[in-house]
Amino acid sequence: MRKFFVVLGLLVAVSMMLAACGPKATEVPEAPAATEAPAATEAPAPAKPAPQGAWVDSVVFTSIDSPDSAITQLQAGQLDLFAETVSNPENFKVVKDDANLRYYTSLGAYTEITFNPVLNFADGRLNPFGDPQIREAMNMLVDRNYIVQEIYGGLAVTKLLPMNSSFPDYAKYIDTARALENIYAYNPDKAKAIIAERMEALGATMVDGKWQYNGEPVTLIFIIRIEDERKVIGDYVAGVLEDAGFVVDRQYKSRADASPIWNRSDPKEGQWNFYTGGWITTAISRDDGSNFAYFYTNLGSGSPLWQAYTPSEEFFTVSERLWNNDFKTIEERGELFQKAMELALKDSVRLWLVDQVSFSPARANVQVASDLAGGVSGSRLWPYTIQFTDKEGGEMRVAVNGIPVDPWNPLQGSNWISDSMAYRATADVAVMPDPYTGLAWPQRIEKAEVVAQEGLPISKTLDWVDLKFEPEIQVPADAWADWDAANQKFITVGEKFPEGTTALVKTTVIYPKDLFETVKWHDGSPLTVGDFVMGMILTFDPGKSESPIYDEASAENLDSFLSHFKGVRIVSTDPLTIETYDDYYLLDAELTVSSWFPAYAYGSAPWHGLAPAIQAEGDGKLAFSADKASANSVEWTSYIGGPSLDILKEYLDKAAGESYIPYAATLGEYVTADEAAARYANLQKWYGDHGHFWVGSGPFYLDKVYTTEKSVVLKRFADYPDKADKWLRFGEPKIAEVELDGPSQVKIGEEAKFDVMVTFGGEPYPSAELDSVKYLLFDANNNLISKGDAVMVAEGQYQVVLSADVTKALAAGSNKLEVVVASNVVSIPSFQNIQFVTAP
Amino acid sequence: MTEPSKEQDGKKTTLTTFNRVARYTLVRLITLFITVVIGVYLTVLIANMGGYVDEIRRGEIRETIQMRMLTDPTLRNLPADVRMKQMEEMIRLQEKYYGLDQPFVVRSVRFLKNALTLNLGRSLQLTSDSGSRQVRLILLERLPATLLLFGTADLVLFFLSLYLGLSLSRRYGSFWDKLTVALSPLSSAPGWFYGIFLIVLFAAVLKVLPFGGMVSIPPPDNPFLYALDLLYHMILPVMAITISSIFLSVYGNRTFFLIYSSEDYVEMAKAKGLKSRDVERRYILRPTLPTIITSFALLLIGLWTGAPIFETVFNWPGLGRTIYRAVGLFDTPVIVASTVIFAYLLAVTVFLLDFIYALVDPRVKVGGGQERAG
Repeated sequence: MRKFFVVLGLLVAVSMMLAACGPKATEVPEAPAATEAPAATEAPAPAKPAPQGAWVDSVVFTSIDSPDSAITQLQAGQLDLFAETVSNPENFKVVKDDANLRYYTSLGAYTEITFNPVLNFADGRLNPFGDPQIREAMNMLVDRNYIVQEIYGGLAVTKLLPMNSSFPDYAKYIDTARALENIYAYNPDKAKAIIAERMEALGATMVDGKWQYNGEPVTLIFIIRIEDERKVIGDYVAGVLEDAGFVVDRQYKSRADASPIWNRSDPKEGQWNFYTGGWITTAISRDDGSNFAYFYTNLGSGSPLWQAYTPSEEFFTVSERLWNNDFKTIEERGELFQKAMELALKDSVRLWLVDQVSFSPARANVQVASDLAGGVSGSRLWPYTIQFTDKEGGEMRVAVNGIPVDPWNPLQGSNWISDSMAYRATADVAVMPDPYTGLAWPQRIEKAEVVAQEGLPISKTLDWVDLKFEPEIQVPADAWADWDAANQKFITVGEKFPEGTTALVKTTVIYPKDLFETVKWHDGSPLTVGDFVMGMILTFDPGKSESPIYDEASAENLDSFLSHFKGVRIVSTDPLTIETYDDYYLLDAELTVSSWFPAYAYGSAPWHGLAPAIQAEGDGKLAFSADKASANSVEWTSYIGGPSLDILKEYLDKAAGESYIPYAATLGEYVTADEAAARYANLQKWYGDHGHFWVGSGPFYLDKVYTTEKSVVLKRFADYPDKADKWLRFGEPKIAEVELDGPSQVKIGEEAKFDVMVTFGGEPYPSAELDSVKYLLFDANNNLISKGDAVMVAEGQYQVVLSADVTKALAAGSNKLEVVVASNVVSIPSFQNIQFVTAP
Repeated sequence: MTEPSKEQDGKKTTLTTFNRVARYTLVRLITLFITVVIGVYLTVLIANMGGYVDEIRRGEIRETIQMRMLTDPTLRNLPADVRMKQMEEMIRLQEKYYGLDQPFVVRSVRFLKNALTLNLGRSLQLTSDSGSRQVRLILLERLPATLLLFGTADLVLFFLSLYLGLSLSRRYGSFWDKLTVALSPLSSAPGWFYGIFLIVLFAAVLKVLPFGGMVSIPPPDNPFLYALDLLYHMILPVMAITISSIFLSVYGNRTFFLIYSSEDYVEMAKAKGLKSRDVERRYILRPTLPTIITSFALLLIGLWTGAPIFETVFNWPGLGRTIYRAVGLFDTPVIVASTVIFAYLLAVTVFLLDFIYALVDPRVKVGGGQERAG
């Protein structure tokens, strides 16, 4: 006993000493040196034979709450990837300094200051932020670079406009954006002067360095969120405003405490003046046009705050037109968009601060395609690209905050990112979202055609889509336009629109001839047209009150869908060809295509995997949605665990015994009783082997789920139709590296030439992959003097020529030439600038 | 003449005792029930911040749906009027789902009634590990993990500290006694604090024990190997709990026994030449039994509450984290259920302890207070 305590005491003492010293990250020399970021310098993956489906043999998910713990386990080699996004600068430093680790960055989150737009509160108090000019001046009063460097430790990018700086619209209108960023650059003296002028005009007076209104100090109530860096940002902005002569009442609150005040109280009550807002986007948006109306007008929300917005008539019109795609050409959209950018800053009910850079740490030998907005966990390509760079196959150990969190079912299952990351790996898709541009690439389909009504501003970028325009698009009478849930039959266009109807867009998808031979579900059942038809039925059925699986929440979604949907028609089953008629479209033809592939919102499923759950819900035993389950006091359908499994097993056995075909009046035309029996037998065997009903057709199948231990095991699906190297080219974003060289002194009135080198990985950036190489010329007062395109000299080499007329417009002094490179294959633009002096 | 009288006296005494115990039991049960009712209703009020949680919930619903409108590609590009209509409808349905279409007072009474009848109902947001929203499953699925870890650790701690405390009380002033006194301030730090050190030492540096979790990932399929793996994963957390509490517990018990050891009747027993083991058992342990049983009973029901930070440090799927999450999410049914179960456990324990005291200590008489006073 004595020895035991002596040893124990010594161990505790030693552990404390060791812990106090801290394990140095670099003391674990196991793997080769990591790269800096998912940037251009990374070595390509070594050539190795590509297996079927995925590179690794299995992916084991585990749950770890804390980034600190995850990073320690990565350092110790106990983990390969922490797929959550981390934004703590201290964590970033640890990862960056460790040669055995690497990281993947994403820019989905962004931060702003939301202003109360009411000028005079009900009790007579003055709200300076009710004045647009004061709000506009705030853009120059706040030092965004300070926030980026000192508060985020470099893990952020300055943000002036309501669009993500890594999304395509920013790159598309980069010249306007950069010009505005220069105009509204940090200039506290100018900002204070504007604020002083406006405050006096509003009737306020400066007394002993503090603004007073009606004899009382002008006090600003600042709701500061406490959960993240916004707390420090709040303190910084409060300090800046105190320095400008205001009294700031700092109220630190959590989301729960803040929300009723800023989002639900009447702004006229004056419960708050400004608030540290934060937003997140989990997928690349190729069209940020709706952001202006959403953030600056009462179209955004029915909340009292939004309803208090009073943008100028011009701004409202421009914003509304952008939202509703009310323009004929992309050029016209460009004009509207750039106008909106200017007017947004004039309005400034929101003061945009930073696009936050988050990162997901990994072992240095892990390679995966990370989405620019969603990170690793939000990337649809992760299961297709994840691999060890130094070995074949292997088991990838991935940690997320929790898994499984909620029940998995394909229609209304878990929406948690950690769950969806895992179940997306089990689902195949018709088109693959590009993690670097947001465009879509064909995955399961062969090609597509989009026919749009003439005058619509739709364009295409990639070759797999044909885009045509026609004066009018008639919807065929035999297309399915709606669903008769009582009789379980589709309602044709001829029945719904006896007079006939037209659509703004028709899309046609053509699948490969061997689709039904090559694609298999994980339980061995082949993909058939019945799976597609089931998907079509379930688009409508849950929203119909006559349906046994009617769900009140789905009804509203269906109403919204039917407001633009016109019809769908299976033109051929060999090869499978499907036409869709719709009034809804996106600006990119690639994103407008409707595939009808059986991949549902929360996972994919064959029709026979859905049948038992549909029957169980019809009998009031289960419910696909959490809300309906709670309302009916039944279990929320889970394909992977809990009491649902016994119920689903009971209905599966029953269905197998009857060779049951759901929605037989319609699906019966595409499914035979023999096929149904064979499929149910496959599913019964699957359940026996794996203990769950989750069946997809993706590159991984769900092998085991451990609900209490919080772990999920995925294994490579050997029958997947594609090789693992299909998406290899998306291993990393091809962000251009720009070098700019030229004279340091230019004589006014003489031509000047500057050389621009655009490279990636040390090689010239292919011109075919570049969208533009633009230049912007600013004088000493940050006025935009000239802008234009650089001239290509050779691959990767460009030249900016400032003509004599242009240099003549410059005054003597220091000037800045900025070059902006926008790529077609990654939406993050690259910048470089050079200072030069002009002299007579 | 004397015999019938004795018999009558005996019957009378039995009847009186029965009446006394019955009356005491009834009064005690009613008192405890009222206490439970008050405690649970206070919990309902506190968990809902007197109804203010409704406002918080409304704000969160609106904020969440606003965010979804911005992030969901199928919604963000819908025409403005369609999107606005859908947003407001989604908000309405969510408010209905949370019962916000009914006044809080009405719901609070329903919460109370359901809680008292142990109709635990369904959670608002939390799901059990297996994916159910039945509060019963949310709590019960976590109970085995909590009982296993904290039950093991606390039982080890309880009996070890009892044994060592008694042992040290006989060696007052010895080296081990002084060492225990000197180390007792170590218990000022909680278990999770030592847990971090132990994880750094044994998992990160020496790599001989796991960082946390209940079992390896993926868990072994063989039950025997699973059990071994479970024990392997329990080493560090049990060690952390033990280190954080053992010295103070031993010190407390040692002092407690020292006080009893200096009673006159113990000195008398020693003077009579009884063996020290007999002195311990009959003269020290026996009179301290009610206190020890009380500690033990409270320790057992205390397991119900778990330890959220400790469980987080060791990534242990226990009740503490579940209840902590429920508090963070204002998931009232889960909060109320965990409280009402604890309240019932406490009430039953307190009720039973009265009888157990009477059984183990002849000086105590159930419901005898009035008679003594009379």
